Amino acid sequence: MFEYAFMQNAFIVAILISLVCPLIGMFLVLRRYSMIGDSLAHASLAGVALGLLLDLNPILSAFGLTSFFGLLIEALRQRFRQYAELILVIILSLSVGIAITIISSGVVHANVESFLFGSILTVTRQDVWSVLFLSVVSLAMIVRLYPQLVLLTFDEDGAKIAGVRYRLINYAFAVLVAATISVSIRIVGILVISSLIALPVATALQLQKGFRRTMELSVLFSFLDLMGGLFLSYWIDAAPGGVTALVSVAVLLAVIAGRSLVPARRS
Amino acid sequence: MLSLQHVSFRYENGPYLLQDVSMDVARGNYISIVGENGSGKSTLVRLILGLLQPNSGTITNTFRHCAYVPQRFDTLNRQFPITVQEVMNCQRRVLGLKDRDVIRRSLEQMDVYDLRDQLMGSLSGGQCQKVLIARALMGEPDLLIFDEPSTGIDVKSQLELYPFMRSLNQEQGVTILTVEHNLKFAVKNSTKMFHVVNGHGHFCSPEEYIQEYLSENMGRDSHV
Repeated sequence: MFEYAFMQNAFIVAILISLVCPLIGMFLVLRRYSMIGDSLAHASLAGVALGLLLDLNPILSAFGLTSFFGLLIEALRQRFRQYAELILVIILSLSVGIAITIISSGVVHANVESFLFGSILTVTRQDVWSVLFLSVVSLAMIVRLYPQLVLLTFDEDGAKIAGVRYRLINYAFAVLVAATISVSIRIVGILVISSLIALPVATALQLQKGFRRTMELSVLFSFLDLMGGLFLSYWIDAAPGGVTALVSVAVLLAVIAGRSLVPARRS
Repeated sequence: MLSLQHVSFRYENGPYLLQDVSMDVARGNYISIVGENGSGKSTLVRLILGLLQPNSGTITNTFRHCAYVPQRFDTLNRQFPITVQEVMNCQRRVLGLKDRDVIRRSLEQMDVYDLRDQLMGSLSGGQCQKVLIARALMGEPDLLIFDEPSTGIDVKSQLELYPFMRSLNQEQGVTILTVEHNLKFAVKNSTKMFHVVNGHGHFCSPEEYIQEYLSENMGRDSHV
């Protein structure tokens, strides 16, 4: 199957997103920000629709608009803390409204479905370069901001007192989430991105290790989920997004079952 | 020197939690902030730490490095996947300390170096408190702020904690500001007490505070 150029592209992109998604997912899950990931995933659909309408690279246009909405959410959350969930609903409605209006008006002549469900066939070499660029920038930011992000996630007050510039970090993090979503939409699709961000982390958390080890394990599980999803979707000819989500849930359940069996065996 | 002048605070559209509070904390002081639950003690500390901004009044802090030991570990997520070593290392990097050995020295000072590979969530209340103090000590603070340090820790740990806080103050010259409900040790350790009553505060000596405490509680008993 690797003799096909589209499969090579798909696997390169899958390897990159299996690295980036859980790294961002660790902070999203542990800060209980999973809903932001979901809202921005839907916001990326508006970016894709605008990109297709204006004949731009849809991944980069998704990144631009998702970053804008991410920064807007963060700014509004800092201003109206008590209405944080309502802000997410407003942004989600606005972005899905833009997307559906553009797509349903018939002005876009492209396969939007592949962005919703994910697709192996439609990953181009240009997409690979876009994903590579955003992945490298994301990884560099995570490495640079690692202690600040960990401290802010573990003990927000302690981080602020220690001098972490939390507003700036939160804005940078919003852009990181936008980049992660943008690189993932080609393969896994907008509808299941949040599962790829959260499920490998949830699986790794079951093993009760330290932060760095949990992060490494979540990358491993993410890689297994994505590779399993891609292989299975190729063989059964289904959209990779849905199959990857099913594999992620299966791996999570297997690890939970394994964890419950280990003490039973010992006893 | 830490100076609060005529500080008032309330959340948006809420009642005033602190009103016209003034206090000066000089270098070398050991000050216990005391008062009933809901009197405004923790709000006062959050204002001093810069986590809240006063609605009116000024707060001036000229201490070189201020560190904080939070109320108790229960306020943190016990399921959080992080080891003692990772907490210390992230704090070290955020503070910009190049010397990696500062982690070992701080943990050894609190006698918890052996716990460095343990998850924070697996520690007892006393062990966790020691780690959080070790974390606070890493930047060699000249002002150390505690929020109810004996909450959630056993009596044995309390008997170790308060003499240690006293030695930090008296032998190493660290200024201590602590929200206290453990009156026995507050009276024993403090150079001054800051008594907060219904959002208002005033300084008193430990002896004066005992008198105020007794008259408040005897008055309450007579009403009952």
